[in-house]
Amino acid sequence: MTKIKILHRRGLLQLIRFVTSVFCLLLFSLLCYGQKRITGRVTDFDTGGPLTSVTVGIKGSSQGMVTDKNGHFSLNARPSDSLVVSFIGYQTKTVPVGNRTDILIKLQSSNQRLDQLVVVGYGTQMKKDVTGAVQTIDVGKLRDIPVSQITQKLQGKLAGVQINETTGKPGEGMSVRIRGQLSVSAGSEPLYVVDGFPIVGNIGSINPDEIQSISILKDAASTSLYGSRAANGVVLITTKHGKAGQTNVSLNTYVGMQQVPQRGRIKMMNAVEFAQFKKEYYEDEGQPVPIEFQNPSQYQGKNNDWYGALLRKAPIQSYNLTITTNTDKLNAAIVAGYFNQEGVVLNTTYKRYSLRMNMDYSISDKVKIGFNLAPSYIYDNTPQTDGDRGTGLLFDALHTWPIMPIRDSTGQLTKYNQLPASTGNIYAYPNWVRAAAEITDENKYVNILTNGYIQYEPIKGLVLKSSINLQYINTKYFFFNPSTATYAINVPIPTTAVSRRNNMDEATWLNENLATYTKSFNDHHFQLLAGVTTQKYTESNTNVQADTYTDDRLPTIQGALNINRGGTNNGANAWTLTSFLSRLTYNYKGKYLFTAAIRADGSSRFGSKNRWGTFPSASLGWVLSDEDFFKQFRNISFAKIRTSYGVIGNNNIGNYTQYALVNNTVNAVFNDNVATGAAVTSMSNTDLGWETTKEYDAGIDLGFFNDRIQFTYDYYLKHTTNLLYSVQVPQESGFSNFNDNIGEIKFWGHEFSVTSINTTGRLRWTTNANISFNRNKVMALANGIDRVYGSFNITEVGHPFGVFYGLIDEGLYQNAADLKNSPVIPGRSTVGSIKLKDVNGDGVITYGGDQDDRAIIGTPFPKFTYGITNTLSYGDFDFSIVGSGSYGNELYMRHLYSLANLDGVFNMVERVKDRWRSEQNPGDGFFGTTVGGGNVTGVERDWPNSQYIGNASFFTIKNITLGYNVRLKSKTIKSARIYASCQQVYIFTKYWGGSNPETSFSTDNLSQGLDLSNYPVPRTYTLGVNINF
Amino acid sequence: MKKRLIVIVLIAVALSSCNSFLDVVPETSLSSATFFKTESDFAQAVNAAYAPLRNIANDHAWCLGELHSDNTYYARNVLFGAVDNTENLADFAVPTANGITTNSHVRDQYRLDYLIIARTNQILALIDGVDFDADSKANLKGQALFLRAYAYFELVRYFGKVPLHLTPVTDRQEAALPLSSTDSIYDQIIKDATEAGSLLLPKSKQEPGRATSGAAKTLLANVYIVLKKWTDAETLLQQVVDSHEYELMPNYADAFSNSASNKNNIESVFEIQFKEGSDGYSGNFLYDFLPRPMTAAEVETITGTSNPQSLSEEGNNIPTPDIISAYEPGDKRKDASIAYITLSTSLRANKVFPYIKKYAKKHAQQGNTGTDWPVYRYSEVLLFMAEALNEDNKPGDAAVYLNKVRQRAGLPPTTAVSVPDMRNAIYRERRVEFAFENKRWFDLVRTGRVKDVITAYGKRVVGNPLNYYYPAGAVPPSNAFTQLETVYPLPADESALTPYF
Repeated sequence: MTKIKILHRRGLLQLIRFVTSVFCLLLFSLLCYGQKRITGRVTDFDTGGPLTSVTVGIKGSSQGMVTDKNGHFSLNARPSDSLVVSFIGYQTKTVPVGNRTDILIKLQSSNQRLDQLVVVGYGTQMKKDVTGAVQTIDVGKLRDIPVSQITQKLQGKLAGVQINETTGKPGEGMSVRIRGQLSVSAGSEPLYVVDGFPIVGNIGSINPDEIQSISILKDAASTSLYGSRAANGVVLITTKHGKAGQTNVSLNTYVGMQQVPQRGRIKMMNAVEFAQFKKEYYEDEGQPVPIEFQNPSQYQGKNNDWYGALLRKAPIQSYNLTITTNTDKLNAAIVAGYFNQEGVVLNTTYKRYSLRMNMDYSISDKVKIGFNLAPSYIYDNTPQTDGDRGTGLLFDALHTWPIMPIRDSTGQLTKYNQLPASTGNIYAYPNWVRAAAEITDENKYVNILTNGYIQYEPIKGLVLKSSINLQYINTKYFFFNPSTATYAINVPIPTTAVSRRNNMDEATWLNENLATYTKSFNDHHFQLLAGVTTQKYTESNTNVQADTYTDDRLPTIQGALNINRGGTNNGANAWTLTSFLSRLTYNYKGKYLFTAAIRADGSSRFGSKNRWGTFPSASLGWVLSDEDFFKQFRNISFAKIRTSYGVIGNNNIGNYTQYALVNNTVNAVFNDNVATGAAVTSMSNTDLGWETTKEYDAGIDLGFFNDRIQFTYDYYLKHTTNLLYSVQVPQESGFSNFNDNIGEIKFWGHEFSVTSINTTGRLRWTTNANISFNRNKVMALANGIDRVYGSFNITEVGHPFGVFYGLIDEGLYQNAADLKNSPVIPGRSTVGSIKLKDVNGDGVITYGGDQDDRAIIGTPFPKFTYGITNTLSYGDFDFSIVGSGSYGNELYMRHLYSLANLDGVFNMVERVKDRWRSEQNPGDGFFGTTVGGGNVTGVERDWPNSQYIGNASFFTIKNITLGYNVRLKSKTIKSARIYASCQQVYIFTKYWGGSNPETSFSTDNLSQGLDLSNYPVPRTYTLGVNINF
Repeated sequence: MKKRLIVIVLIAVALSSCNSFLDVVPETSLSSATFFKTESDFAQAVNAAYAPLRNIANDHAWCLGELHSDNTYYARNVLFGAVDNTENLADFAVPTANGITTNSHVRDQYRLDYLIIARTNQILALIDGVDFDADSKANLKGQALFLRAYAYFELVRYFGKVPLHLTPVTDRQEAALPLSSTDSIYDQIIKDATEAGSLLLPKSKQEPGRATSGAAKTLLANVYIVLKKWTDAETLLQQVVDSHEYELMPNYADAFSNSASNKNNIESVFEIQFKEGSDGYSGNFLYDFLPRPMTAAEVETITGTSNPQSLSEEGNNIPTPDIISAYEPGDKRKDASIAYITLSTSLRANKVFPYIKKYAKKHAQQGNTGTDWPVYRYSEVLLFMAEALNEDNKPGDAAVYLNKVRQRAGLPPTTAVSVPDMRNAIYRERRVEFAFENKRWFDLVRTGRVKDVITAYGKRVVGNPLNYYYPAGAVPPSNAFTQLETVYPLPADESALTPYF
């Protein structure tokens, strides 16, 4: 008892010492007593060459410096001190000073796998012993990339993981897909686990600077301990902790500017071109040309670039202060961050304030406790930029007539523009610049993440750990549309002012109780893990919608004349999950490796007849290079083959999908009196369950030339069955859908990654490259259903999931003979109109129905994705360049249904200038005649066809950074580095439908790959500083 | 040791509380397991069964029943395209293959009728098993039966053969049924409507706007007339007349509801209820029926709203020269049904367009009207009676009922004497009395006149597009007036989901 007290007191003292020293560091320069001058040199263990910019510090103190270009250093130290020598890519070494004054330190390259620890599910493993497909990322190396979210930083870094930035909205839009996994309606985003806690909500709320490392668990053997949530892969995030024996204070900050390059934007007609088109339209139609278009040159110099008017240059800034310490008893880290990104679309702001405090404290040799607290607050205001016509500002801006003035003659923004109906102007166009600037569309997001644990080791090798994890999220949404602006098309100004308030509270808690027993005897090494976990999630929301304000300055609820009943409501959601898990790890002599794991999940989401799911896995590994016979391959320093098989699930099936629900707002009206009506709106399914994925993986890890080149290859084969699908049922039933587990999708792929230290010594050049080939095929859907349609996609048995579907464009009918001799659309095809392929050969072109001529016309899936990162350091300079690419993927340029609408009711892409006008003037053969009105042009517009498919292969230079270590003769500052960085540097692509070939409007897997002119991804230039105290 | 104990206790607690912990039911919606237990539940369920009628009347029934006839056409706007679903119906060019069509109005009408059927099936399957006030139960059950009969009567006339669902569908396997014969569907309609007629309250006792015994009997009489069971029809219609629940409004124009008044008046047997306002029960079919392009000022002269906005795209249900000339001289119904507007921005040389006036009632906000849709008016009871009597070889008795309708219209008594003459007189009368009330297509079908009437009409349209509101140079599509089937093809989207068609 007394002993514990003493220990306790000692710990407290340490804490006080830590806090005090932090303050000392921040406020004063440290004064040194009783020290002597020490000089030394750091060299590469293998080559003997000098190592530059190596951090040399004194253990337990903040003192330190970096080596010069010859590897030399000098500092003051006591004989009892130890030097801690660390350098990226090398193993950290601790050297006692003793009586020496000149010390030679040889650092060994850290690419010796033996001692690399990898975070895996519910524990860590030596990298050498890992038998699953796991990729880890040291996030410290990504700190220069000036983006808001961790997932953006990972672009191009991971084999088998496709990360797309589908929209440039700050803090949003990242699509992460591990090993091509997808499902019909249960999502494809991986499970994010932060310090052991599967979190809910937006991963973007976590400050990337809080993160130490990331492990991506890809195969079922690695993920099966996450059971029914593992099928989309698992991302394990480990936040910062102190490094052994070090205390460190660092400041990382950057400021920069973002802009949308002119190049890559979709090319639209200008005012003169548009007026010329309209003139020709009426001429070709044989109608008198309206006065507005009789003289197109009158618009010379009067172009209105509505799209450009919504964009601006915008600043970005980030500040992070990190304090870490790790002494005998206490390991603590504090990260305070502020991030502010103004968007390149007017009135877009994203600010994040974050704080994280991680503490681990050893009460005794047997008892350890830990506590993490991470609150963050995000404020963002983002106009509704992305969406279909009449809902997305950017698309709306593109299709607005460029002859319509943005500003009036006095320089004021116009209210709205509408020309006489005789000009073919069918809509009133509100001023989109006003809409962006005047409409409030803001989110306030509070996220508090906490973990606490107690760990006890009653006997050697047995560790009992019990943890409680809590997450609370509050999201407040406020929307106010004043009477002076609107996102909607065809709404004249003034309009009805509308406010919407949504308030959502989410809370989840997780209790985990784990026992781990580790035992070795002779050459046998065992570890057995067993645990029980329980998690609950609850959410409640309140929504208030009010309209008709007398004064735009007071958008209160009480300021509205009308509360909109339809938009005023509250809701609630909850789920629960109880699980049992176990894992056995065994190896013999460290070269024959075996792991088996199992998890049983019981979930409230599953039907009452199908409550529990079991998810087992097993994996084997063999370290060939440890065998005697392998010694002959001298150049191969490491070789391991591994294979695994496992069953995992996806429980994102919705919370109440198993129940038949009664909607009691299906009201009737009798003689002007409203009568409440209630109708059964869905069918129940007590058998409803998780989606099941069975995955096989085989891989090989190789190291060459003392691991200077490391290579990893993995092959996987997965079958996902029991997909949650809201199966369409004939509506003669009174229902449109039935929630069921159906079908089977097969996924397979190859992943290659290589890391090469090309040169060492003074010029150190490292290359990381990866390439992945992911494929999928729908093997079965529901009984009696062989296809499911998305927006412009089809998911059909025997084909990849969600590929583009439509008619095949074969050019235009060139003349009367062509029209006569070709299949036509009765009543609609004319000379000069689009000629579509008669796929079923019945002589008639049909869209939909039994005589359908539609076919697969493209794919949103790349043939392969790849990434390459080169890092160079020379003396005090460092340089890195990150590239990310995708090949073979296509986009459906959905916005062309307006932007190439040949009726001329919207502004059009420049290419429409080269449309078919007559046999003598057939244009470039792409767009057809405008004559005949919607009956003719409607085919091209309304019947999805291959004209709208764009090649979206790309290679993007994501980031270039140039850094320089500044040598300061300061006792306070250990090291300082300045750098310049450019993000989203350049996109190599042939895509012509817009600026972002990574885009995808819908997050629905059935409707992937639609381009609707989402928020552009800006190019960002930043200057940054890293200072270590 | 203590820690281990805690762990064991935690595991034990987790295990023992597992099952209740894992039962999480929705908190903010009702589930079917707890519904259908009380009178109020059934009352709400009956109300919900009426709800699809608004959508049917506002958006689809006029496309299938009126635009698809010689009474109305569309006013072609060459500047606007995406209108093939309505144009195809007006042009008798609905794309059809193997008895299937992609026309969205056909599909939506089909689905909405089945929505009524499914909701009434839920009620009818459970209501007898729940004990509550017998009178209230009879009234609720009667309404459910009336609505089910109403929906099937629409379906059988539109499509001939459709699946016959009479019990709630509870899982995927039950969702699709084979097509039932027209006869068996009519048998069920007769059964339901007969029962509804005996369960329901008369109009004077029923809440206004709900189905009444008179409505059920009129519906059933309509069924008998379609089936040419003249004496059965006559018996029922006599009951409706003798109930003295109904009278003709003295002025024809007053037979139709205003946006917020004159609803369910003494002439109304059954009408589909709309309510003006922002609460979501309003209609806007009046706007669909206006020719375009129309300036805001022109719109205001018709609607009288405080926020008139211009109308673009294409107007539908524009009265044809054929219906305009079908009125006898002096018929007061002509001016009550049809008016004219001059469209200053029209591309046509003749900028004067007719439009349907009987629904053009003033209201407050653009696109938001509360005008009800008439389904059965007492004048139809009278004309049904005339027709049944005439076909029963009593043209003299028939003339009495016919003349009541003519008299209100300001017309002299009919001169028809013979059965064939009287038959034609009644047909002519029906056309003008019920113009734009979705009766024309059904009347042409049940009297076997589709081919003759529409072929001649088609020739007039194709021969004189200018008379049918085309701008100069524009013509009807080449496949116009080629689909003269008397039933609609079944919807393709449904065909894709059922093994039976």
